[in-house]
Amino acid sequence: MKPVLTVAAGIVLLAACSGPPPPPATEVRAAVVDRLPDSHGDTAWSGAPVMDVQMLPQDLVEPRLLAPSVSRVQVQALHDGARLAFRLRWEDTGAEDHPGPARFPDACAVQLPRVAAADVPAPQMGEPGRPVDIVYWRASWQASADGRPDTIEALMPGAVVDHYPFAAPSLEEGSEIQRRFADRYAPARALGNVMEGPREQPVQDLVAEGPGTLRPAASQSATGRGARTAAGWEVVLARPLPASLGPGGRTQVALAVWEGGRDEVGSRKMRSGWVPLVVEEAP
Amino acid sequence: MARVYNWQIGREMSYWYPDSRPRRQFAAVFDINKCIACQTCTLACKTTWTSGKGQESMLWNNVETKPYGFYPLAWDVKLLDQLGGQAWQDGRYEGRTLFEAAPAGERVLGWRPEEQDYAYPNVGEDDCSAPVDGGAHFQGMHEAWFFYLARICNHCTYPACLSSCPRGSIYKRPEDGIVLLDQGRCRGYQECVKACPYKKVFYNPMTGTSEKCIACFPKMEQEIQPQCFVNCIGKIRLAGWLSTPDKASPDNPLDYLVHIRKVALPLFPQFGLEPNVYYIPPVHVPLPYLRQLFGPGADEAVRIYREAPGDPDLSGLMALFGCTESLIPRWRRDGKEVVGLSADRREVIRVPAREPVRVLPAYDRNLGVYRTNIP
Repeated sequence: MKPVLTVAAGIVLLAACSGPPPPPATEVRAAVVDRLPDSHGDTAWSGAPVMDVQMLPQDLVEPRLLAPSVSRVQVQALHDGARLAFRLRWEDTGAEDHPGPARFPDACAVQLPRVAAADVPAPQMGEPGRPVDIVYWRASWQASADGRPDTIEALMPGAVVDHYPFAAPSLEEGSEIQRRFADRYAPARALGNVMEGPREQPVQDLVAEGPGTLRPAASQSATGRGARTAAGWEVVLARPLPASLGPGGRTQVALAVWEGGRDEVGSRKMRSGWVPLVVEEAP
Repeated sequence: MARVYNWQIGREMSYWYPDSRPRRQFAAVFDINKCIACQTCTLACKTTWTSGKGQESMLWNNVETKPYGFYPLAWDVKLLDQLGGQAWQDGRYEGRTLFEAAPAGERVLGWRPEEQDYAYPNVGEDDCSAPVDGGAHFQGMHEAWFFYLARICNHCTYPACLSSCPRGSIYKRPEDGIVLLDQGRCRGYQECVKACPYKKVFYNPMTGTSEKCIACFPKMEQEIQPQCFVNCIGKIRLAGWLSTPDKASPDNPLDYLVHIRKVALPLFPQFGLEPNVYYIPPVHVPLPYLRQLFGPGADEAVRIYREAPGDPDLSGLMALFGCTESLIPRWRRDGKEVVGLSADRREVIRVPAREPVRVLPAYDRNLGVYRTNIP
């Protein structure tokens, strides 16, 4: 009993020293910085208020997520007058960054309405004619950006491959003709739909006008970086400030998180409703 | 959910989308009795379409030994177990289809194979249904049995893969009923892999998309049968177009075999997908097993096939299997010959309705030796 009592006394003492907890934030406030941080551990984040966003299972359209997983995400925001960055932190003890049969990488996304106005579209990925812009991050893309080789052995260490036709000695390694030959057996890559494979940015700009309508944005401008912590993931997502959202402006933001180890993918996800977002003016 | 008519189960059923049959439907008949599991079909497909990175364990065409062969592992028994016992009544399916048995939050009842489930593509090869003990020998009835089941995508009339995709990345072509997965739209959710009961959609971890059999549509568009058909050395396969039963025409080879003679049957019709690859069941296999695989038509199909040698039309049509690379959407028997015709009834191929047969006695009197290696 004695050691337990000592620990309990310590906790009481620490709690007394830290003072009353700050009132919970009810909106995400994007503070101004001179330079947006590109990593999750940058000290600039300590100056941004933290909002705890409650997450809900996506149980509105099939296929649904019936068992809730990640219940809350801590979100912060910063901007430099041109770009807007978010840091998302959530607990997930089982890191999953491998794609494979019945394997799904962890992921997250930030969604803003295309037009910053009082009347926003439905938080479930917008509505026809009222698009939302989404920045999506995936743990397997992060692993690729961090240098994981583009080989089946890197994904499945036990894999044994005898031969690929485009690996014939007569074809120069890395040549254009070899790449085109390989693309014959990888039509998704040939079409530019690189859902796995080599990539420099672990994020993708997406547009949606309702569930099932997700499509890549016309151009890619988002950047991001995610990292594992002892408790889960910390991911920074940055994108240009929407044209209709200047300093001092208000809009809404919604989040989504996928816990791959629980087979969460696509519409099987934890999502939030709209949360107010304030873009602070320079002091 | 919409209500659609599935003639294979003799009733309306629930489906995610309303009825929209293609102008013509790609279909095939496989005569299981002739398959020797040489896997030439498997290799023909593999070398043509799936030799890339991430496709190492992907077989759009495979041949497995039944009852103990599966690719992927336990694909059929696992789903049958999930679905539970169901019943047919007078040719009408009274049980639940996979769409009707979908759990809450799902569009289809299904399961998703894992990496290990694809690791043994030839598990159970040549394994008999029962032990063959020392001294066992053939006495006119097969006490233990097995057979080879060649499988491709069934290009179903009501595809579960198509209905399960929340993005609408899978579509059924109105011109030929071939089911394709849009590689430019797929985001690799693997809902289709989970939903397809035949497990003929595969996830590619290198592209991050799912991929499937395309019925060699570039060949079909030129009226040429797919790779796995024309490379079949056992000549077990015939590709073509299948009508609905009410429009069946006896000069369409597939209509004749499926609708008129009812000798070729769908695989697991009770799942409710109206699959379009039809099998002539193996005649030496116990009927309860065949009924589970091919539905209540199995008894009659076996009887008709056994009588085929005395049936010049049926045996004649079977002689056309594997005789030409071209599609032969029409046919006719011309005395002792059988003719495959193009859609405009041009003669494409002419073969003997019955190949000459010579029976050699087991003992060769001239040479004084047995011709077989069985003592």
